[in-house]
Amino acid sequence: MLAVEDLSFAYRRGAEELFGGLTYEFTAGAITAVTGPSGRGKSTLLYVLGLLLTPNRGAVLLDGQDISSAPDTMRSRVRAQRVGFVFQDSALDPTRTVLDSVLEPALYAGSTLAQARRRGRELLNDMGLGSRADHRPGEISGGQAQRVALCRALITDPMVILADEPTGNLDRDNAARVLAALSAAAGSGEQGVGRTVLIATHDPFVIEQADEVLAL
Amino acid sequence: MRPLLILREALATAWAAKVPSTLVVVLVATMCAATLATVGRTADAEAQLLARLDSAGSRVLIVADTARNELITPTIVDQTALLSTSERAVGTLIPVDVVNGVIGDGGTRVPAWGIHGELPAVATLLAGRWPGPQEAIASRDALRALGMDEKAGWVTLASSTLADDWSIVGVFEAREPFDDLEAGLLYPAPTGRALDAVRVVLTSASVAPAAQTQALRLITAPSPDALSITSPVSLAALQEQVTSDLANFGRTLLLAVLGAGGLLVTVITLADVLVRRTDLGRRRALGATRGVIVALVVLRTVGPALCGAAIGTGLGIYLTARLGATPPWEFTCGTVLLALLAAATAAVPPALYAATRDPVRVLRTP
Repeated sequence: MLAVEDLSFAYRRGAEELFGGLTYEFTAGAITAVTGPSGRGKSTLLYVLGLLLTPNRGAVLLDGQDISSAPDTMRSRVRAQRVGFVFQDSALDPTRTVLDSVLEPALYAGSTLAQARRRGRELLNDMGLGSRADHRPGEISGGQAQRVALCRALITDPMVILADEPTGNLDRDNAARVLAALSAAAGSGEQGVGRTVLIATHDPFVIEQADEVLAL
Repeated sequence: MRPLLILREALATAWAAKVPSTLVVVLVATMCAATLATVGRTADAEAQLLARLDSAGSRVLIVADTARNELITPTIVDQTALLSTSERAVGTLIPVDVVNGVIGDGGTRVPAWGIHGELPAVATLLAGRWPGPQEAIASRDALRALGMDEKAGWVTLASSTLADDWSIVGVFEAREPFDDLEAGLLYPAPTGRALDAVRVVLTSASVAPAAQTQALRLITAPSPDALSITSPVSLAALQEQVTSDLANFGRTLLLAVLGAGGLLVTVITLADVLVRRTDLGRRRALGATRGVIVALVVLRTVGPALCGAAIGTGLGIYLTARLGATPPWEFTCGTVLLALLAAATAAVPPALYAATRDPVRVLRTP
């Protein structure tokens, strides 16, 4: 279960505080769209929840435990094992194959190469990208790249998926496919418990498809 | 992350980033080749000079009883041979002239040395056997001079009324540094007779001062001029100075080459880190710890550095061979290790810089 309590964040001392003491419990098994005007901290909230930024005040609770103030090594481990990231531009390594990109977080989480490869191929096959496993990111479309990024986010079977404008660069058809994949991911968590999926977006189409909306 | 997988990732990214990797290869190869061609030649020259300074001929200590006061007893020679600074030691009598016993006084005179101690310490037996009392062995030159085609015959004292003669029972070749004995014969010194000199081959020229002190402690001389000492003490001092000067020069040159090379590796790695900051930021976001990032950046430099070290060492050995020198293998291995260590150390500051960057800054798309 992911929740925030009295959360505030500022990029530097004296700068405008974001979130204004936000307290919120995100629903597992549902897609939550984080919306709001530009500059209100949609992406920043995702980075705080993903433990890449430390809040000035308040806490990020994962299964009731405050992890936002944990040491960097612990936060890295939580990120590797329990959080999956999907970035706006997919952020795949252009020099590596699609499969290598997918299995990257599993390696940081401590999997063996063989385990990670097997799981990576399964995920790519599930997303209909099995034939693209040995391609480079430059050889696949934007929509496919975003689905590859989703496979990468799912490879460690995380309990939280954080997607920052995942459909921002996609046409409507591809956006629908990515959303469908995220929706499937939300309902297929470990041991039947759904995953918490957060999407930072200003796309009305995504907001319409989301189960919950958190407006900042 | 498992160490082998970190290595795999590092090598894969090194292969992908061909320009910085090639620059590191070239740089480390240049470091190794330049070190071997300059410092290696110095080391080779130093090794050759030291070998010459430390040859057996350069580490002989001779203490002679010039006044013939019977100061050098066989016991003193035996004790001297047992000193830790002694490689081997023998006592010698002043040589006497001998002639072929068949020819008599008209024959060619050759010197004969009475030796106390192990004869194998001064000579290698080529034929026959080691001599016993009233027997001698002769060098090939001495046999020729005596007019003996084979080691059969006997010699007697020249210009003497004493009926003292020795049967020739073997042929020897003098061992370095006792080449002067090659001119004549060797016979065992009569038991209990005081010797005229003790000749000591030291383990190293550098132990000469200590060995000289120890030897003089064993011999009780009535006055300082009763003994004549030929010692490599000044040679030891020269050896120390030459070694020190060459080592200092080599060390300075080595540090300059490694320092300059290391600095350039730092610049290349830092530039690579800056160019690939998105890649490193993504890795941090996906769960790589700071330690993993540091290891990835350092190993990404060490991988190409290994190739560079191999190429540079080959090139350096070829160059020094062309210049007529062969650096000692210990120096070559040390150069490779130091070059790798310099490259790895040089990669640490950029690696730490990469590990402490904020991944959010590079991941955010405007």
